[in-house]
Amino acid sequence: MALVPFSYNLRSMFVRKSATLLTIVSIAATVAVLCGVLALEQGFDSLFKEGGRDGILVFLRPGASSEGESYFPRDRADILIKSCSEIEEGADGRPLASAEMYLAVRLKKLDGSETNVPIRGVQQRSFDLAGEMMTFVSGRRPEQGTNEIAVGRGLAGRVQHCVEGDVLTFNTTPFQVVGVFEYDGPFRSEIWGDVDRMQEALERPIFSRVIAKMRDGVDVTAFKQRLEKDPQTPAKVMTETEYLSGQTAMLSGMLLALGAILGTVMGVAAVFTGTNTMLSAIASRTHEIGILLSVGFRRYSIFLGFLLEALLLGLFGGILGSMLSFFLNGVETGTTNWNTFTEVAFAFRITPNLLAKAVGFASLLGLLGGLWPAWRAASMKPTDAMRRQ
Amino acid sequence: MPLRLVFRNLTNHWVRTLLTIGSLTVAVFLLCFLRSVLISIDSAVVSSASNRLISQSAVSLFVTLPLSYQGKIDQVSGVAGTTKMNWFGGYYQTQENFFAQFAVDADRLLPNYPEIEIVEGSIEAFVQNRTACLIGTNLRDNYGWKVGDRVPIISALYPRMPEGAWEFDVAAVYHSNRDNIDNNTLFFDFDYLYEAIEADQADGPEGVGVLAVGLRDPGDAEKVSAAIDQLFENGPQRVQTTTEAEFQRQFVGMFGNVPLFLSALGMGVIFAIVLAVLNTMLMAARERVHSVGVMKALGFVDRKVAALLVLESLTICLIGTTVGILLAMLSEKGLRASPMGVFFPGYRISGGTVVLCLIGAVVVGLIAAAIPASQIQRLRPVDALRSEG
Repeated sequence: MALVPFSYNLRSMFVRKSATLLTIVSIAATVAVLCGVLALEQGFDSLFKEGGRDGILVFLRPGASSEGESYFPRDRADILIKSCSEIEEGADGRPLASAEMYLAVRLKKLDGSETNVPIRGVQQRSFDLAGEMMTFVSGRRPEQGTNEIAVGRGLAGRVQHCVEGDVLTFNTTPFQVVGVFEYDGPFRSEIWGDVDRMQEALERPIFSRVIAKMRDGVDVTAFKQRLEKDPQTPAKVMTETEYLSGQTAMLSGMLLALGAILGTVMGVAAVFTGTNTMLSAIASRTHEIGILLSVGFRRYSIFLGFLLEALLLGLFGGILGSMLSFFLNGVETGTTNWNTFTEVAFAFRITPNLLAKAVGFASLLGLLGGLWPAWRAASMKPTDAMRRQ
Repeated sequence: MPLRLVFRNLTNHWVRTLLTIGSLTVAVFLLCFLRSVLISIDSAVVSSASNRLISQSAVSLFVTLPLSYQGKIDQVSGVAGTTKMNWFGGYYQTQENFFAQFAVDADRLLPNYPEIEIVEGSIEAFVQNRTACLIGTNLRDNYGWKVGDRVPIISALYPRMPEGAWEFDVAAVYHSNRDNIDNNTLFFDFDYLYEAIEADQADGPEGVGVLAVGLRDPGDAEKVSAAIDQLFENGPQRVQTTTEAEFQRQFVGMFGNVPLFLSALGMGVIFAIVLAVLNTMLMAARERVHSVGVMKALGFVDRKVAALLVLESLTICLIGTTVGILLAMLSEKGLRASPMGVFFPGYRISGGTVVLCLIGAVVVGLIAAAIPASQIQRLRPVDALRSEG
């Protein structure tokens, strides 16, 4: 015999409006909270992962996992660039490579609190390598050999003095802001200026990393192995994509752990609420269940019917929750990336993939909540059930 | 007699009662957890010593001070003594086994940090032996290290040249009862680090990261810190001296909007709890229409009938909340002892949290009962009696 008609379940959900609505909203609250955390993680993660390019190589000191820990003496950086035939040449015949200095400096935010902002001392080649990913919103590039700097768009509006025409002082040397740039990646929270001038101002005569354009067809794995063991200039090399992907582990891990805790705990509460609602739905329909059983509906179709009802509760809850979380999409926020101890600005990001997971999770909550009540309904005795008013 | 009725009504639907209590329990647990994480973030600031200042580079968290600075600071009037506090950034075996290590002046640590209490081994052994280390009680418990053990630590910041790992001999175990020094830290002698770098056995930044400055009189904090900063106003490295609380606050500031975000999550959880209890109370009221009619016909006044429902709601909320708080208290020990405890040094379910949860329980109980109680109160006995079961 066939399943209990779908319309029966749908209609009975409408009859018990308040309980249905409360369950849906409580599942929605769970889903919205979870979506919020995951959207934060997604926004942060994709800023780094999508900001990387496969054709760009990043060289660090062996054993270093980020620029903050890595350094090359000046001569070693030069030798490294000249000795690698894997690096593409520019139109002028010189390698398309740049040695950079990176340091997280203390600056004051607009609200007066302190934050760590990454500054990057660059050679002119760094701008060439950034290419079209970097666009100037206002002003221009800093001139080589001058105390001029450009600030990322992510800093403007959050950090003091990060506007064109203003002056930032590093240690004891003032630098003038001559431009504001946008960059589709973590660079948008950085300050760029001439590397030599910055090294002098900060009393830091070292480079943090070398960045270079890779020739087409280079075998990165082989290159990695060769350079790791290079007797003269051992270095750790990787593509920019690989490098940036490795910079998110700490914060992403913390957010995912938070999401898991919230999802589990609130999920349990939502399942309990769902079970309550379904139990009450079944209790008040005992008589009807008796009729269904006695006109020949099988136990499994009763079971599936009620399970479907619970699934619908979850599904609607999931959809409502996702819709609520959508208000967060694109909201800008800032927090510290614990891998580099610097502040990054990024936006909450809700992706179709994330939404699908959220709706799936909500449906699962509904199903779990309906399991026991549906089984209870299916195992009623028709005669007893009919007797109940 | 009314109390017995409350009890009867609750046990009559024991599954529903238990499920509601269950969802309250997990939600309260989650709230306690979130609030305690927030408190934990702040705990190092709150428990900071008022008679200590911290001198660090004014430029960056990652720039060290010249070693010569310590002697000059010792001479400033009002300074009782100083010790180096140099972040080592290492881990044991794998990166997951992360905890703080500091290179300090072995003989100056205890005089400057009286909250560190030696519970095993002797401070003399720590001071006299160059490779000795002092470990917190949590490290002893988590890794099973004993006095006399040799512990290998790998540092990305200070790579040890030939063999990779640094080796420390456990000379003593300490316990600190204040959150500014957690029990997950390893202290060792700065000279060990310095000599290894000098002898080219290790790589890494020269100088010292942070100097802790003990004050003769806490009232002098402002005067002394200004005097220290003045000494190095014109470089080579500008210094920023703050109270210990202010120093810790810079790390709290790094969380950016995250505390606000966690609070918003907490509001979401509270909202979900209200819905869950409201759902239960609405069901309870709906089923009881007939018996309410009987009670009213017997002469129960409206207010008393409604009060019964309110009492039920409060009972559920208080039981659920109490169990949730107890669970959270159990988690306190578990989390602090686990490796994750490193990140939450001051995680503790405070008295304030308990009181807040209990007040919250009463409020939620009242809100959830308000609508159904007013519905019941308005019922006319004749109509109520006419309705079935």
